Amino acid sequence: MNPFEEKLRNALRREAAPEGFAERVLARTRGLPPPGAKAWWRFGTHLAGPTVRWALAAVAVCLAIAAGVVHRERQERLRREGEMARVQVRQALRIASAKLNVARKKVQEISQEPTGSRL
Amino acid sequence: MTTATLQQGEEALARFIRGDATAFADIVQEHQSMVFSIAFHFLHDRGRAEEVAQDVFLRLYRHLASIKSGDHLVFWLRKVTCRRSIDEVRKLPKAPPASLEDVAAPAAESRDLDPLLSRGLQRLVASLSEDARAVVVLRYQEELDLADIAEILDIPVNTVKSRLQRSLEILREKFHRWAGDVER
Repeated sequence: MNPFEEKLRNALRREAAPEGFAERVLARTRGLPPPGAKAWWRFGTHLAGPTVRWALAAVAVCLAIAAGVVHRERQERLRREGEMARVQVRQALRIASAKLNVARKKVQEISQEPTGSRL
Repeated sequence: MTTATLQQGEEALARFIRGDATAFADIVQEHQSMVFSIAFHFLHDRGRAEEVAQDVFLRLYRHLASIKSGDHLVFWLRKVTCRRSIDEVRKLPKAPPASLEDVAAPAAESRDLDPLLSRGLQRLVASLSEDARAVVVLRYQEELDLADIAEILDIPVNTVKSRLQRSLEILREKFHRWAGDVER
């Protein structure tokens, strides 16, 4: 190294970092995900901002309400279908009962007729 | 970089891998002077140098899991600091050519230790082009050989050599003109 380069080396010696430098760096890392965190974790952390959190909560509430409404409508439809089936069964039973009565009357009439009259 | 420093770097990295939260703090303590000085000799502005140095350590924090050894850590820090400093210089409007008129005259004797002389030379270095500045800072602050500088800056060794020679010519000429003016 020649004398000029020696001067340059002296002029470019390492300087001490400003007072409190390391503390300021560490303070800035506190809001960051741990080093080596997976991409999905970083994405999740990124989503965890206050505005996004509120939006996610609102979406969750809307989904819950929609699920409730759908469930209730489904219950109502099932109840209506059940009611209709009950009415149909009653009507079928009524018809069957009427037919049976007719048949029973016929049987009675036949059994009450004198034997000779049948000849 | 001394062997002891490299060993400390290795140890801090090993502690980090084991999940020791204080390891990163030790890494910052260990390398803050190197990173800050590279940025300062590039920018010649302590505030902006601190900003760049903080940014470099935040990037390190995010990439710490990919650092393989103490050597790799130092290489990574030098490389990222140079790149970040070059970006910072390019972001700014072109500064007027450095003038040493506002730097007081160096003391007549023992110039090697004269702080005014050092400041003058620092200003001259900060007036070089970004690429030339990177070579000069890595050569005279970090005392790296040409091959190491080439690897950090990702350029051929011959380019490093020619940039260094050209930078030294410019610096020497400006410096002697300034020193001559002072003597007259």
